[in-house]
Amino acid sequence: MRTRGRAAAAIGVLFGGALLLGQAGPGGSREGDLPALGTQLGELPAGEMKPLADQACLHCHSADMIRQQRLNEKQWTAEVKKMAGWGAAVPDDQQAALVAYLVEHFGPDNDRFQPVAAQPAGR
Amino acid sequence: MSGMSRRGFLLAAAGAAAATALTPPKRRLLQMNGYPLDAETPLELLGETYITPNDLFFIRHHWNPIFPDARTWKLTVDGEVERPLALSLADLKAMPQSSVTCVLQCAGNGRSLHRPIVPGVQWKYGAVGNAKWTGVRVRDLLDKAGLKAGAKHLHTFGTDAPPEKVPPFHRSVEMEKILRDGIVALTMNGAPLPQLHGGPARLVVPGWAGDHWMKWLARVSPQAEPQTGFYMDTAYRYPKTPGAAGVTFKPEEMTPVTELFVKSNITSPPAQARVGKKATIRGIAFSGAPDVSKVEVSDDFGMNWTEATLGKDHDPFAWRLWYHDFVPKAAGKTTLVARATDSSGSVQPREAVWNQSGYLFNAWPSVEIEVVA
Repeated sequence: MRTRGRAAAAIGVLFGGALLLGQAGPGGSREGDLPALGTQLGELPAGEMKPLADQACLHCHSADMIRQQRLNEKQWTAEVKKMAGWGAAVPDDQQAALVAYLVEHFGPDNDRFQPVAAQPAGR
Repeated sequence: MSGMSRRGFLLAAAGAAAATALTPPKRRLLQMNGYPLDAETPLELLGETYITPNDLFFIRHHWNPIFPDARTWKLTVDGEVERPLALSLADLKAMPQSSVTCVLQCAGNGRSLHRPIVPGVQWKYGAVGNAKWTGVRVRDLLDKAGLKAGAKHLHTFGTDAPPEKVPPFHRSVEMEKILRDGIVALTMNGAPLPQLHGGPARLVVPGWAGDHWMKWLARVSPQAEPQTGFYMDTAYRYPKTPGAAGVTFKPEEMTPVTELFVKSNITSPPAQARVGKKATIRGIAFSGAPDVSKVEVSDDFGMNWTEATLGKDHDPFAWRLWYHDFVPKAAGKTTLVARATDSSGSVQPREAVWNQSGYLFNAWPSVEIEVVA
């Protein structure tokens, strides 16, 4: 399913990858509960760097975390460095291009993000 | 989950989103992050009830949690104790139970309101709630284990584990505070502590920011020194001395976020007000001090203040609901601002102290009201 269109690819990264393998542990996991609450997975915007961003970022968190940011180049550079240090798969020679992509779409003027209205969780 | 059901879910989610856009449900959470889950309570729902219902309580996960199985879960007590313990949920339930009704606020609540803008979950108003937490007092737990003299910090560990090379969320709380006020909570508002909120057990640290309230608590360990690592030495720190907005501080120039700052919010302004007719605004107010002593409202940006009426419900470190009746004198737009004062005399400031992680935003809330003739 990961090859069938953008939405399927994104969800493949979310559910098919090591996200779950890395998180499942003895005594419990969230596998049965994903996707959770009001999940409506926003995507990263189209662009040359989208595949890398999908691969490097969505492994650990949804695109929402990026889509809500409004950061300048200096701030995005620091974020990308931090995340690369924490294991995000961003080759050194791709970091500048990734930062440029993030600044272009999620710079200080970004006002497009809206939270997902979720039905209250009963548990 | 099969491939087919994943696609089915996507379609269902898209349909639900379309419906949501047309008629936003009143009772809802505002989800900021699909995974790990982060969701806040809408501002207008915060002031409706003294106790925030569990299903409307904000959710904040650092990463996809590993929910403990309550049937096999045990809480380990080790470190500077005479008798290390491993207690099941039944063991903990058999101990004397204590309750505290108090505010839980994420350290980053209001982060999106700081200027210059800072990175992180862009919380607005609702990463805060007020609940009744019941469980075992940390003092009783450590008495049972035989706390040794010289242990000044309680190291705390949850079952959640970070992905990749992300540092673990290991924390510690000063022993003096946790012995005085801390509870290992097993229930939230009378229900078993929901998994989304750290069940089967989480730490409750009344008056202190949420980063101390370890969820999915698995181990507590009294130690002589504080915990180290990213989430102690770099994150959850606040400037010792406020600086200019936008100026980044080094970790050593900062101190751990602990007590909440005094803060009020306006949760329900009147949709419309009429000249000569009584109108009412409502809100919440809380602090890291045990109580809020007053809330005031101003219609001239703080030149003159009028005291609001505090709600009767009232517990140490809980929030106070408040309301303020006013009679507009002239038509047009009017702006109301509010500020709270706590029982230690701290007054909510006009501007919050900017800090690079966006913690503890507590500037005066304001609301613009249209007054018609």
